[in-house]
Amino acid sequence: MDKVFWVTCPDCAGRFFCDMELRRSGHKLICPFCQNEFLDEESPEIEE
Amino acid sequence: MARDLREFVRQVERELPSEYVSVSRKVRPTKFEVTALLETLTEAGHFPMVEFKSTEDAHGNDVDIPIVSNVFASRKRCALALGHDPDKHKTELSLEYARLAGRTIAPETIDSSEAPVKQVVLRGEQVDMGGLPVVKHYEMDLSPVYTMALAMKDPDTGAYNVSFIKGFYKNDPRKLGISIHSPHLERVLRKYEERGEAAPAAFILGHHPAFYLGALALSPYDSDDYATIGSFMREPLRLTPSTTWGEDFMVPADAEIVVEGEIPPGAREVVDPFGEVTRHYQAQCLRQSMQVKALTRRTDAYLQDIFSGHEGHWNLGGIPKEGSVFNAVNARVGNVTAVHMPHSGVSRLACYVAINKQKEGDGKVAGLAALLESWTFQAIVVVDADIDVFNEKEVVWALLTMVDPQRDVTYVRNMSTTFTTAMGHNKVVIDATKPLDRAFPTRFRVPPAAMDGVRLEDWIDDWTGRSVD
Repeated sequence: MDKVFWVTCPDCAGRFFCDMELRRSGHKLICPFCQNEFLDEESPEIEE
Repeated sequence: MARDLREFVRQVERELPSEYVSVSRKVRPTKFEVTALLETLTEAGHFPMVEFKSTEDAHGNDVDIPIVSNVFASRKRCALALGHDPDKHKTELSLEYARLAGRTIAPETIDSSEAPVKQVVLRGEQVDMGGLPVVKHYEMDLSPVYTMALAMKDPDTGAYNVSFIKGFYKNDPRKLGISIHSPHLERVLRKYEERGEAAPAAFILGHHPAFYLGALALSPYDSDDYATIGSFMREPLRLTPSTTWGEDFMVPADAEIVVEGEIPPGAREVVDPFGEVTRHYQAQCLRQSMQVKALTRRTDAYLQDIFSGHEGHWNLGGIPKEGSVFNAVNARVGNVTAVHMPHSGVSRLACYVAINKQKEGDGKVAGLAALLESWTFQAIVVVDADIDVFNEKEVVWALLTMVDPQRDVTYVRNMSTTFTTAMGHNKVVIDATKPLDRAFPTRFRVPPAAMDGVRLEDWIDDWTGRSVD
């Protein structure tokens, strides 16, 4: 089973989940609710 | 006249009128109005093909491009698309599919000047991928997504592969994030990446449904999908030189819209979430991108869309697979009567196999044989031939009355898998056939002789015109 982690957008507080390949990868995540781009470390909460 | 999507839309309207609806009121596809309507129909138990006649593009501008969705959402329509009797849409359809998959019809080439898909030709900066009525499907989707099939060409053999992909429109007019899950397309892509070359690709956003059903045939990697598709179209697929690469890359002449582009080696970008076939979102991840070079279309083009994670999407998994599972398991055990990949298992995760059981153990052998036929299978259920595998109530009855969990449930651990479910890499085979090695009750029935010829209107007062709930 592919592992995922949940993040919270620092701008809109929308929550979505990502493949573990994006954890600490340096790639900016894209919030599907407001299109804000941010690093996973910037998420106020990470659930994994 | 060559077969195309518009011909099929009119055929359904004419021959299966209860399976077609149109929407003249304008829909806003990026505001979930297409999927909200489809979901409401689904919740009411209706799965018609829907023609959205008035649409707007991703910028909110009116655009004269209708959307056709839910094309594959009934097995009857899939049968009609394949030139098969719509009333024989269960196992007969699956076996007909398998038969068509075993042959090819060579494509034919026509000049671009004759190709309907070249009626409008946009190159380079003329192209705006937001200028189409691209659909945003689900709440957590990253973006609107183009859902149809991509054609790529093996750089060594020249054979074309065609498979469904997702194309994420992320507000860039000439770039799509693309998500490829097809092993054959991945193999083509890998060859270009190893050479350090950009891979040419054509995104085919509308064609006759037989085109897409044929693209799903389990053909060998080196075979040419355009020829396989011809078998399903029951005529040579008409091809025409692409606008970008000319005769070096041919595209379907009778498509509605073709987007030509290149997939640069090594380039990755963020795509997903997207509401997938399993009814879960695909997690955000890194995938390829496609640099769009040209867009060609008919003057009055349709945009075709798949309502992902619903009946049409599921039928695209089940119908192409059921016949091959039937034939493979039958070759091993010789007594298969029906195979179905139910919608409850998203037509990927579960497979029901009915057999004429001859001896104890047949069920387990058939189940294990079926399990090997697709890496998407998580659970196989084998039942007796008197159970209708298309009637889940009967299958569950067999599961609840025939199965001794200690003996009849077989776990297979650590197998390759495709989808993310709680079962992970573990699979289960359940033999729900009636035990033959001990005395066991039999299913009751009203004598067939008494049932034969019963017409309710002959017996029940004022029955004519009433329906059965």
